[in-house]
Amino acid sequence: MYGDPVVYVNPTPGSQSSLREANRGRIVDALKFHGRLTQVELAGATGLSPATVSNIVKELSTAGVLHTSTTSRSGRRAIQVTLARQLGLVAGLHFSSRHLRVAISDTARTIVAETHVPLAADHRHDSELDRATLLLTDMVESLGASLSDLLAIGVGLPAPVDTRSSTVAPLGLLRSWEGVDIAESLSRRTGAAVFVDSEANLGAISETRGDLSRIEGVAAYIRVGHTISAGLVVNGVPFRGVTGKAGQIGHITIDENGPICRCGNRGCLETLAGGRALLDLFRSDPSVQRLSDLIIRAEEGDPSSSRVIADAGRHIGIAAASLCNLLDPDRIIIGGELAQSGEILIAPLRHALERSALGGTTEAPEVMRSTLGDRSELMGALALAIDHVALDAEGRLVESAQ
Amino acid sequence: MLSLRGVGKKFGAIQALTDIDMDVYAGEVVAIVGDNGAGKSTLVKILAGVHPPDGGTIEFEGNRVNIVSPADSKELGIATVFQDLALCDNLDVVANLWLGRELTHGGSLDEVEMEKRSWTLLRELSAKIPSVRTPIASLSGGQRQTVAIARSLIGEPSIVILDEPTAALGVAQTAEVLNLIERLRERGLGVVLISHNIADVQAVADRVMVLRLGRNNGDFRVADVTSETIIAAITGASDNAVTRRAAKTAATSMVTEVSE
Repeated sequence: MYGDPVVYVNPTPGSQSSLREANRGRIVDALKFHGRLTQVELAGATGLSPATVSNIVKELSTAGVLHTSTTSRSGRRAIQVTLARQLGLVAGLHFSSRHLRVAISDTARTIVAETHVPLAADHRHDSELDRATLLLTDMVESLGASLSDLLAIGVGLPAPVDTRSSTVAPLGLLRSWEGVDIAESLSRRTGAAVFVDSEANLGAISETRGDLSRIEGVAAYIRVGHTISAGLVVNGVPFRGVTGKAGQIGHITIDENGPICRCGNRGCLETLAGGRALLDLFRSDPSVQRLSDLIIRAEEGDPSSSRVIADAGRHIGIAAASLCNLLDPDRIIIGGELAQSGEILIAPLRHALERSALGGTTEAPEVMRSTLGDRSELMGALALAIDHVALDAEGRLVESAQ
Repeated sequence: MLSLRGVGKKFGAIQALTDIDMDVYAGEVVAIVGDNGAGKSTLVKILAGVHPPDGGTIEFEGNRVNIVSPADSKELGIATVFQDLALCDNLDVVANLWLGRELTHGGSLDEVEMEKRSWTLLRELSAKIPSVRTPIASLSGGQRQTVAIARSLIGEPSIVILDEPTAALGVAQTAEVLNLIERLRERGLGVVLISHNIADVQAVADRVMVLRLGRNNGDFRVADVTSETIIAAITGASDNAVTRRAAKTAATSMVTEVSE
């Protein structure tokens, strides 16, 4: 999105060509953010001069990156610019515990529109799917397309998903979404093919795909946020188990007599290290109401906040050690809202893991922070959708593979 | 940061607000919800300085203050965005943002500086405004709300009061405004949000204060409460926290009397 760091291969910093490269990036970013703009509006939104905008637009539309059409603004002729797409569109939705993220990309994985909205803690399937449908309609229309141009939609949910029936798997983890065929329900609203998976699996997919040299092997993506769960990828293929519950390390019992968990058990990892449990420790302090507040406080050097995050890391490390003893992964990727705190969480986690796992420090898996940050599940949802759209060698559509 | 104790307001024979307590901390979103005529707008108008309160005390950053005029409220750093937004439809975004506070340079308007600062502000808010030189009349409802909120930030306030910012907005525009409220919170501002939409309130607020018939009828942390509980407090299905407190005080004084 706007302002996000975009990595460009800069020829020489400060040179004429690197400046041009940065300006091109600015224009593409502005179009992703706004949908479609006229050249004049582009100049305003990017702060570039109209002549520069005109030159870059001309250059990028010959290269096939942008698409221009004639329109009128305030009664005057204007050139409207959009990102070019030739391959059809797919959408990704990520419902996390407190946020909905939506992105639309073409089948070449170029994101053409993206938005997000905060959600109520206990969101409901009917109102949220309605909202998502309206958001999608709005976004595809801003691209000059319609809902029927969407080939597939990938959906991530903050609970294990039984992919055979597209329902939320065990009872109690996402109460207001239970017993509903989510794929069918959203497909009825949008007319597109819908594929549903848990957010941890989607995060695991997107985090492991970037590095082609490491397809072979076992990776675990642990998502630490309001909930704790993991997605497992074995030789590049997600491992979901029979009913989709594989990797739910948030519900490993840590303390037999611990507090009651929302899953109905006692002393689960989540009751000790989940977002809710951490924030409950700060009940009397009105300045810590959300995980982001806690992370900011810890980064500012507040000892109690860092201690609470470090303790969570230690508990997760012990659970992750059990996971290592069962699966023997070669890397563990930490994502989710709390992973924003970086080494404050990960250093104690790594330490606890190396202490409890077989093989100790020498053979312990590599523990790293997710590279895509809070968008990794969304990217996974897009990847899930694209996987179900079959393309031939030239990138043309064959047919939607169900 | 802002703290109200026992605030009341009477219009002729009608007691619009009775004994209202309210706290707003920095970096916190407090939602005020309630039925029609519960006193939400009156409370906003007291904070904005439109109506002076009849009784009770208002403390701002620990000091007792009197808010008797909109200028007092502005001086304290309380910015209010009313439901009608009060934008000039025929003027462009820059003119609206700086209306009444125009920057001048050597006796004439410093349009360049105003436009630059407008862009900076709108970018900081990740606002989806394609051009700052379009007249307000051609913007969508969400974009107008964004401009109105951005304008309230020009005076560097510490508390922003938003009266029904998502009423009459579509889904995408509501999303824009909700994200904007999150941005305000990240800037460390106290945000008071008046809304009828419980889902929106639960999405962005940290605390919910329920008003019913001009009295406090519950103050909840959003993390602890279900929408059913909030609705029960709005409609009066759950008992009134104030009457419960009054009953408790009465009971204690009775005990004291007996023991005496």
